[in-house]
Amino acid sequence: MSFFRRKAKGKELERPSAEAKPSRAPASPHSPSLSARHHNAILEAAGPSHVAINAISANMDSFARGRTAILKKQPSHMEAEHFGDLGRSSVNYQAQETRSRLSKTVDQILRDNVALPYFIQFMETRSADHLVRFWLDAESFRSTSWSRVRAHSLNSVKHSSLAEPASTLGSPGSPDSPSSAHRDLGSDEGETEDPSSSRAPSSLPLTPSPQDTNSHASSLAHHRNSISSEAGHRPSTPLQQLPSAGTPTRRPPSQTGTPQKGQSSNAYKDLSDKLMKSIERDAVNIFTKYVSPDAARPIPITEQIRNDIVAKICGEDGQVDPNCFVIAQSVVFTIMDQQHFGEFLRSHHFCKYQIEVLTSGSVFLADILFCESALFYFSEYMEKEEAKNILQFWLAADNFQMQLAAKKGQYDGQEAQNDAMILYDKYFSLQATNPLGFGDSVRMEIESNICREGGPLPDCFTTPLRQAWTTMEKMYMPGFLSSNLYYKYLSDLINSVRADEFVVGNASALGQNATHDGDPRGTNASDGAQTQQGTKRAVVKILKNFDEAITVDVSSLDPESLYQRPYAGRMTFGKVNELGQFIREAEPEPDVKKSKGSMFSQAMKKWVQGNSDEAQEEMAWKIAKMIVNDVMNQTHHDSPEVKSTKL
Amino acid sequence: MTTAPYNYSYIFKYIIIGDMGVGKSCLLHQFTEKKFMADCPHTIGVEFGTRIIEVSGQKVKLQIWDTAGQERFRAVTRSYYRGAAGALMVYDITRRSTYNHLSSWLTDARNLTNPNTVIILIGNKADLEAQRDVTYEEAKQFAEENGLLFLEASAKTGENVEDAFLEAAKKIYQNIQDGSLDLNAAESGVQHKPTAPQGGRLTGDAQPQKEGCSC
Repeated sequence: MSFFRRKAKGKELERPSAEAKPSRAPASPHSPSLSARHHNAILEAAGPSHVAINAISANMDSFARGRTAILKKQPSHMEAEHFGDLGRSSVNYQAQETRSRLSKTVDQILRDNVALPYFIQFMETRSADHLVRFWLDAESFRSTSWSRVRAHSLNSVKHSSLAEPASTLGSPGSPDSPSSAHRDLGSDEGETEDPSSSRAPSSLPLTPSPQDTNSHASSLAHHRNSISSEAGHRPSTPLQQLPSAGTPTRRPPSQTGTPQKGQSSNAYKDLSDKLMKSIERDAVNIFTKYVSPDAARPIPITEQIRNDIVAKICGEDGQVDPNCFVIAQSVVFTIMDQQHFGEFLRSHHFCKYQIEVLTSGSVFLADILFCESALFYFSEYMEKEEAKNILQFWLAADNFQMQLAAKKGQYDGQEAQNDAMILYDKYFSLQATNPLGFGDSVRMEIESNICREGGPLPDCFTTPLRQAWTTMEKMYMPGFLSSNLYYKYLSDLINSVRADEFVVGNASALGQNATHDGDPRGTNASDGAQTQQGTKRAVVKILKNFDEAITVDVSSLDPESLYQRPYAGRMTFGKVNELGQFIREAEPEPDVKKSKGSMFSQAMKKWVQGNSDEAQEEMAWKIAKMIVNDVMNQTHHDSPEVKSTKL
Repeated sequence: MTTAPYNYSYIFKYIIIGDMGVGKSCLLHQFTEKKFMADCPHTIGVEFGTRIIEVSGQKVKLQIWDTAGQERFRAVTRSYYRGAAGALMVYDITRRSTYNHLSSWLTDARNLTNPNTVIILIGNKADLEAQRDVTYEEAKQFAEENGLLFLEASAKTGENVEDAFLEAAKKIYQNIQDGSLDLNAAESGVQHKPTAPQGGRLTGDAQPQKEGCSC
């Protein structure tokens, strides 16, 4: 609990200076280091996991007391000297930081291993998961096939979409070893997924005769050059192992597919055949599984596309085009984007993903500022802290820079200058309406940026933006992440999840009626019941004070169940669960101040643990486990002093 | 205004959208400061203002996001639509073009907000009757066809400004009461807060602890 008090005071320390000393009477000789340590403690300790821990743990009482202490503290006022050090010494601000992990596009989700499972789950509920799986399978097929093709100079690219019409490629026989080819591939293309070709490096090919090396080398060179120039126009670097290779020029090779059977190594021929066959097999698998009309759940593509795919798989030369599914992929992608993604963002699956990010222990300012729902809560927090102006400035200046940068230089300098002047007059000038306390040097820098010939550039406000960012990050984020507002945001997310899961789980028309406190619970519950069809399970939200937002399931307040005593006869005061928590069954001691608090924490525990609804329980346990892991990680790294400041 | 910590039960997120120069910022300013800004510069990106109102006996704080109307800011302002509980779509009754662009704004609003976001159409500059270019009736019809509330207002005189925000709030509150708006959802644009002070006492209905001004 003392952790909170110290944290409350810590807000006022922007610098370990004399002004901070008087506020902590004891330990004055050690003040500078103490304050620095506290500052560190604050920065390290403040994280969403602590909020979540306290919310779900059995110690709701002390948590509530601690938070009350924060709430009673006066917000710190902005002063000029608070900006200077923070801004210049920060290296965290990146002008290009524009992404929140909480806001995603389809493309980002498909490539994000954390978010992807949630998306797949969501799609499963809509029976559309075959779209996602097809896209993923096709994507991985495409990249591994390309890797294999390049690694073995297989002649399958003759008719691919990457091949330019004039070029045809060299013989399939490859004297080059797979590993060096892999290394070449790496330097050539930077294509990342290549799990199939990781082999121990060996430099020389197996059994070529010198003549072979030369002839194969030249055909290889042409082959490689063709691929290189087609795919990326990168300088051809693959020929280190073949010093006799000619200069990397692109000329159509003389051989056009007739293998030099005479002297090519049989081992390689077999290998390349095998690889071709396996590529073919993969393609056919994907085709059978998703594309063919006889598939269990074929993807919705036109006959024309299907025929195109067939043509590309069964190429004239017997080679499979690794890009055969690309068109179908883009069709599927569009469907996912337009028909499903919007709903996904509103679904509880996405909420679950957001919860996972937010309770992961490391939430960044970018995550908050670039996610609308988090920003909603953060704005309220900043207003409460009387620091709304910093946020306003950051939003306005960032928006200004973003829209200017998006124009890529084609903007009206005068217009941009007018816009910039509006910001200047509001926040920087000596007669500013909303002064933020930027120093003289910053102001002069802005002046010269705005008044430059041709109008301001898109990085006009970078310095003050960085200072504002750092200020928000260091001074307000920690408080926000431990605030009731943040807890509220998290619990709203969790509630959305639970509510939706409950609906889905029951598969019946389910009503939900959230009410505010004050109204008699009974009438609201019955009102809720009347307005919904089907089975009624009204969830009543009772918020006594802001420290404890607990949702109590109405059924647990059912007269019938109140008389039920599931634990009767066991005569226990409590039990220790697998996480080592002692869960008491008895009433708490009468001298505990917040008796109501404990009652509700008890109710919540009962509800979390005693309820038969598995989904809710599972969710809570999952979160609890995450938190425990987090605490374990943190306690292993923390210094003893910091440890002692925690609850 | 003393920011007594929790003297409101809810926070509703609003956005104000519309062509440039129709008076969005002035409406906001009139609502939050009760003053008319004659020479206010155009908005860069977004700004937000807040005010506490009373709806059905409950104190509600409105967090109102005022967006820039200039086309060049359209892309950045789109990201603020999401999660709004209410949207004020504003046009200028003395400029027909601002009325004609409403369908484009409405499309954005419908696509980017929740299905049950309350949208209210505001015909601003109602004090300039002499220069009226859009009749009340046609705008009313447009609103009815699209399921929008409608009011003509004047940020300059203050006429109907409070009502504009209030009407939307009432509708939102009604949606909460009948269950069509889920309070608990993080994307609803509504924050729910208690009215009790931090003493942990169980309170009944709204008890304004610190009866500051309701602005």
